[in-house]
Amino acid sequence: MNPSLARIACFVEKYNFTDPREDSALQNFKLTAEKFGHEFDFLFRENISEIPKYDSVFIRATTDPLYTAYIVSKTAWELGLRVIDDPASIKICANKIHSYSLFKKSNVPHIPTIFLNKDEFHHKRLLEIFKIFGKPVVVKAPYTSFSRYVEKVACETSFREVARRFFRKSDILVVQKFMPTAFDWRVGVLNGEVLYVCKYMIPKGRWKHGAKLRGKPTFIWGRTVAMKRVNAPAELRQVALKACKVIGNGLYGVDIKEFNENFVVVEVNDNPSIYAGYEDLRDKDIYVKIIKYLTD
Amino acid sequence: MTVAIPSFQSSGVTCVLVVSNIDLTTDLPAMKPSTFLETSIKDFTLNINNDYRYLKTGYYVSLHAEILGNLVIPSSENIIDAHRTPILLLRASKAGIPILPYLVTGSVKQIISEFGFPVVVFAVNPFIYDGFKIAKNKSGLYKAVKSLGMNYKFAVCVQPLRGEMISFKSIFGKCGFDRDVREVSEKVFEAFKIPICKLHVQRIEGKAYLCGLQPLKKEELLPSDLKLISEEASLILKQGESLVG
Repeated sequence: MNPSLARIACFVEKYNFTDPREDSALQNFKLTAEKFGHEFDFLFRENISEIPKYDSVFIRATTDPLYTAYIVSKTAWELGLRVIDDPASIKICANKIHSYSLFKKSNVPHIPTIFLNKDEFHHKRLLEIFKIFGKPVVVKAPYTSFSRYVEKVACETSFREVARRFFRKSDILVVQKFMPTAFDWRVGVLNGEVLYVCKYMIPKGRWKHGAKLRGKPTFIWGRTVAMKRVNAPAELRQVALKACKVIGNGLYGVDIKEFNENFVVVEVNDNPSIYAGYEDLRDKDIYVKIIKYLTD
Repeated sequence: MTVAIPSFQSSGVTCVLVVSNIDLTTDLPAMKPSTFLETSIKDFTLNINNDYRYLKTGYYVSLHAEILGNLVIPSSENIIDAHRTPILLLRASKAGIPILPYLVTGSVKQIISEFGFPVVVFAVNPFIYDGFKIAKNKSGLYKAVKSLGMNYKFAVCVQPLRGEMISFKSIFGKCGFDRDVREVSEKVFEAFKIPICKLHVQRIEGKAYLCGLQPLKKEELLPSDLKLISEEASLILKQGESLVG
């Protein structure tokens, strides 16, 4: 590939343009690519068959092995194109059972976690879990994203209700210790290097960054407070890079909690949100770095 | 044609662990998936399941084996890829399995301009995993794209229909069909190593083309299928034991 004349396809869905901050970030990617002499086209699902015309693919639509984005990623990968997010990263990050298993195996500090199998979903096991983690606990569907399918339960009745819902799609669930904090660190990582750092604040009276209003379908999100990556605590950056190392060399958003002066990984997300004026506020070079990675 | 069991024969594997959610007909030592998921046994793992869909127990057994560092049939990557029709077709084509041209889209106009009629439509969404629809005209195509695309929310995978569609059980690549279909079944097993599945092929003038793959329901497995599964599993087990000897 000639790095000065690469053709980049950015796979998007219509919803990627509904939030002006995301729309603006996407335009920034396009402008940056064009500034370097590359072509940058938005690719929608109707144009998937055009993937072979490109040199690299940048996925911004939500990824999951069951979504169209995986088809795009795997097709590009099989054709030998450079792709963010690569199919292996999607496969690991989109399934929390997979990512926590790898964290455990590689001693990545993470929130205390138990897997709950459909076959062991009974009174005795639930009591055991409450005994180990105390009350409440966090029940997470493996396919969680954007704070959805993550719920806090404090009694067996609500545990059963939430688990039954999540078991419809997955035969194993994640149960975690409840660790309340005022914010989650979000560390953006690309190719083993920290790209940006911010704090995702937890809205007042809530316990996660994105929370549903009672009885309403709308989500409220906490503020995003960006800081220069060089000013972030060294241990935070080390933990983020260690977590990404077990996944791959792609683009990730690592969520980390600072609890009792320790940094523990909440999760590693492929396809991290990049909104203009938020993640890019203190480190403006993130667009250049991502475009360079795609065209290198 | 002999179907090759993957690399474990040449990888120094000494023991084979059979994990099965199916009651095998022989006295083959097999572990239940829920038991295996709680263990840390490091052996070559043969994962026998009627349903290998992503997020289901059959998938997690293979994933658990891989996390333990085991060689496993089938791999979790193959499970995902085989059940996503466009990826199945892309990889099958690379493996030399005959396929027809296909299109991933949500646009009826695009399908008509590329293929005309009739066409076979497969779902490409997280919820529909079985079957296909045949559209012979515009209104039939709109209906198929609407229902398999879940009200146009997701794309579909479309192939032209030029012959007859045949759906059959493939067990370790074996099936009770003539040479052309049998060869596709064997090659799909060689490429993806899914021990139990249903395959959809299109037969055009005596040649078979792969169209899709889906899981089997337990009740679709007949006693003769269970016998075949047990025999194939025993064969793999013996190969492992002979390596010990």
